[in-house]
Amino acid sequence: MKVIALIAVIMTGALLIYGVEDMPKWSDPNSPASSHVSPQYIQEATEKTATPNIVTAVLADYRSYDTMGETVVVFTAAIGCILMLRKKRNGEGG
Amino acid sequence: MIWQLDLILCLFIIICAIAAINVKDLLGAVIILGAYSFFMCLLWTEMGAVDVAFTEASVGAGVGTVLFIAAVSKTKRRSKD
Amino acid sequence: MLDYVISKYNFWIYIILMMIGLYAMIGKKNLVKKLIGMNIFQSAIILFYVSIGVKAGATVPILSGHGHGHEAIEVANYINPLPHVLMLTAIVVSIATTGIALASLILIYRKYNTLEEDEILKIRKETGA
Repeated sequence: MKVIALIAVIMTGALLIYGVEDMPKWSDPNSPASSHVSPQYIQEATEKTATPNIVTAVLADYRSYDTMGETVVVFTAAIGCILMLRKKRNGEGG
Repeated sequence: MIWQLDLILCLFIIICAIAAINVKDLLGAVIILGAYSFFMCLLWTEMGAVDVAFTEASVGAGVGTVLFIAAVSKTKRRSKD
Repeated sequence: MLDYVISKYNFWIYIILMMIGLYAMIGKKNLVKKLIGMNIFQSAIILFYVSIGVKAGATVPILSGHGHGHEAIEVANYINPLPHVLMLTAIVVSIATTGIALASLILIYRKYNTLEEDEILKIRKETGA
């Protein structure tokens, strides 16, 4: 079992190392992730939302429905934990 | 971004990760996982992601460690591997 | 070759972290150890995403002196904020999944009185359940 796990892990690692070849150099200001969409957010976020922190502006203004869905996820997890761990009364099935 | 600090923090993180999966006492493993989360939080502060860092410090290292300790205290503490 | 290895050193470290987490998820028999491995794997992936947004010589994405005139904002001076936003969501969701997993772990312990995978499988085979 340990040997199979080690082989699987090393194969996955080799695949990831092969994929790194296409990544841009680290901390490059002109990398695709930093040059495509984010400049627009950095330039317009403060003006449009009046929030100096851009992360908060995107989280609570541009993606507020996403954040609301996130709270639904946390609520569902809490309800699930309570339903799993409650004490069963006598005569109740399950 | 300071690469010397980055490298030292990454080394600490790898040491904590290896220790967390090799310690046989589960409570010790969980505490080492909390230390791993705090080192991760320092690394994110060093990368400039302050919001992610304080979310990780409160949610990942705080609430996560509390949940793990609660689960370990309700089950067994010893582990075979 | 050495230049290539050094210039991408952060990716090697993230790959090592992912391999440690994956090994703990597959190779370890204790269920809490599997969960610890899952946490390590998740934070390695989050670390990889956050590191995509790093720019050399840039500062944290918080603007100062907003609302006073329309001075031009230099994009290269601020770190890319979008990976941070997405990873904030990912951290909270990861804690929610960890909570559910720990709850079902306690249920498994109540039923089988052990947390070792091989012992649970043996009990299940003996009782035919």
